[in-house]
Amino acid sequence: MKRFRAPNEHQARERSWEVVRAAYETREPVTWPRRHARPLIAGALVAAAVAAVLSTPGRSVVHSLRKAVGVENAQTELFSLPARGRLLVSGKGGTWIVNADGSRRRLGAYRDAAWSPSGRFVAAVKRSELVALDPKGNVRWTLPRRSPRFPAWTGTPTDTRIAYIAGGRLHVVAGDGTGDRAIGPAARVAPVWRPGPGRVVAYATHGKAVVYDVDGGRILMRTPPGLPQKLAWSDDGKLLLVFRPYGLRVYDSRGRVVLQDDPSDATHDADAVFAPGTHRLVIIRIHGLASDVFTGRNGRLLYRGSGALRQLVFSPGGRWLLVTWPTANQWVFVRVGRPRQIVGAARISGQFGGYPRAVSWCCGR
Amino acid sequence: MAASGRDERAWVRRAQAGSVSEFEALFRAHWGPAYRAAYLVVRDASAAEDIAQEAFLSAVRTLDRFDRRRPFGPWLHRIVVNRAIDWARARALRPEAEAVDTPAPERPEHDEELLRELDRLSPEHRAVIVLRYLLEYTPGEIAELLELPRGTVNSRLRRGLDHLKERLE
Repeated sequence: MKRFRAPNEHQARERSWEVVRAAYETREPVTWPRRHARPLIAGALVAAAVAAVLSTPGRSVVHSLRKAVGVENAQTELFSLPARGRLLVSGKGGTWIVNADGSRRRLGAYRDAAWSPSGRFVAAVKRSELVALDPKGNVRWTLPRRSPRFPAWTGTPTDTRIAYIAGGRLHVVAGDGTGDRAIGPAARVAPVWRPGPGRVVAYATHGKAVVYDVDGGRILMRTPPGLPQKLAWSDDGKLLLVFRPYGLRVYDSRGRVVLQDDPSDATHDADAVFAPGTHRLVIIRIHGLASDVFTGRNGRLLYRGSGALRQLVFSPGGRWLLVTWPTANQWVFVRVGRPRQIVGAARISGQFGGYPRAVSWCCGR
Repeated sequence: MAASGRDERAWVRRAQAGSVSEFEALFRAHWGPAYRAAYLVVRDASAAEDIAQEAFLSAVRTLDRFDRRRPFGPWLHRIVVNRAIDWARARALRPEAEAVDTPAPERPEHDEELLRELDRLSPEHRAVIVLRYLLEYTPGEIAELLELPRGTVNSRLRRGLDHLKERLE
C-alpha cells in the first residue's frame, strides 16, 4: 500500500497549493502574547464561571437562564405560530401545512415539498412522482419520474417553473406539469431559484455549486469544489450561500467569495440561512454537547440548546426564527429583534408522525 | 519527500513567522500522504482533494497556536481521516450522488482488486487499514489519533485484514 498513488495527484496538489498559499498569505501572524491570550482568558473565564455557579446567587442565575430559554416553559403542543403565514413541513409522517392558528393539515405521504411563489399550491414528491397540490391536498397534476427529490418553485403568478432532482439529474418543468426537461447531472442537494427576474437556478454537481440560466441555457457561475450540502440565495439574489458543515462560503454574482466561515476543529455547523431582506447570516454551530444559534457578522448569540439543533427557518418578514431541536423533540421560536422572546412547542414528532423538516414559512395570510 | 522531525519543526517555526517557502515545504512533504489517505477512504478524487485541502486550510488557521514540540503529520492525518470517514458515511446515505459525482480514476496503476475489496469495508475499517499500512502508524498511535480504545483498533484491523485475505485468496 506504501507504493499506492491516487489519481491526478500532481494536478490536485498544485490546485490545492494555490488555494492554501492564498489562505496562508492573507493570514495575519499573531505575536506571542496574542497567541497565548486565548487560553489564558478561557481559563480565567472557566474558573470564574465555576466559582459563580457554585455560589448561591450563581445557581439562581443558571436557573433563571434555563427558564428564559423556554425549555421548562414549552407548550405541550404546537398551539399556534407566533407570526403570520403558514409553515410547510415534511418528514416520515408525510407533508403537512401548519396554519398560524396552529391547525394542521396533512397533504399526504410526500417526502419533500415546496410552496409555489404565491403560496397557492405545493409541489411535492412521492417515490416515483412529482405532484402539484392545492393546500387542501387535492392533486392538480402528476409527473411520473424515478426517485424525484427536492422540488423548488419559482416564477410569477402566470408563469412558473419547478426545478427538481431525479435520476441524478436536475430537471425543470413548467408549473402546469408540461415541458419537463433534464438540464444536467446533479447531486442530491436541493436546487434553489435566484429571487428576482429571469429564471436562474443554483444546484450542486461534481462537488461544486453551479449557477445556471435556464432561459439562456448557460452556466453563469461555478464555485470551486467544496461538496455543498445546502444552497441559499439572499432575498435580493445578489449573494449565494454554499453551506457545508466544515466551512460555509458566500459568493457574489461574479463568483468571488465575499464571506467565509470555517468552524474550528472541534465544532461544525448544522445549518445557516440569510436573514430575510439582508446579507446577514444566522448559523447553528454544534460544539460538544451543545449548539449555538448566532448571527454571522457580529457573533450575537440568539439561542443555545443542549444536544443538536438542526434547522433554521425565518417567518415571513423575518421577525421570528424557528429553530428545530430534535434532541428535545421541540420547536423553538426565537423573536430576533427586541424585546427578545422565546416560545417553545413540545412533542413535535407526536404531532407529525415523526420529527419533520421545516421546509418554509410562507406568505403572510 | 521525507522530512526529519528537526526539519519539520523548523518549517513550522518559520512558517509561523511568515515564510511562504517554509510553509510550502511543509505542504509538499505532507500533501501526498494526506491526499492518498483521503482517497483510499472515500474513493473519490474530487472529495479526497477537497478533504486534504480543507485539512491544510485548517492548518493555516491554527498555525499560530500549533505546538511545535508535537509532530505535524499525525495532527493533519487525524483531521483528514476523520473528515474522510464523515464524508464516506454521508455518501452511503446518498448513493445517487455517488453515481453522479464519482469520476473514474484516469490512471489505474495500483492493484484494482485490492482497492475494490478495500471499498467493501466500512469507512471505519478502511480508515484503520489506511493509517496502518499507508501511513504506517502503530495500532497505539491509531488509537490515539482516532480517539478509540486500542482493542477497537486491533479488532478493526483484524477484521479488515481477514476480509481482504479471504476475498483476495
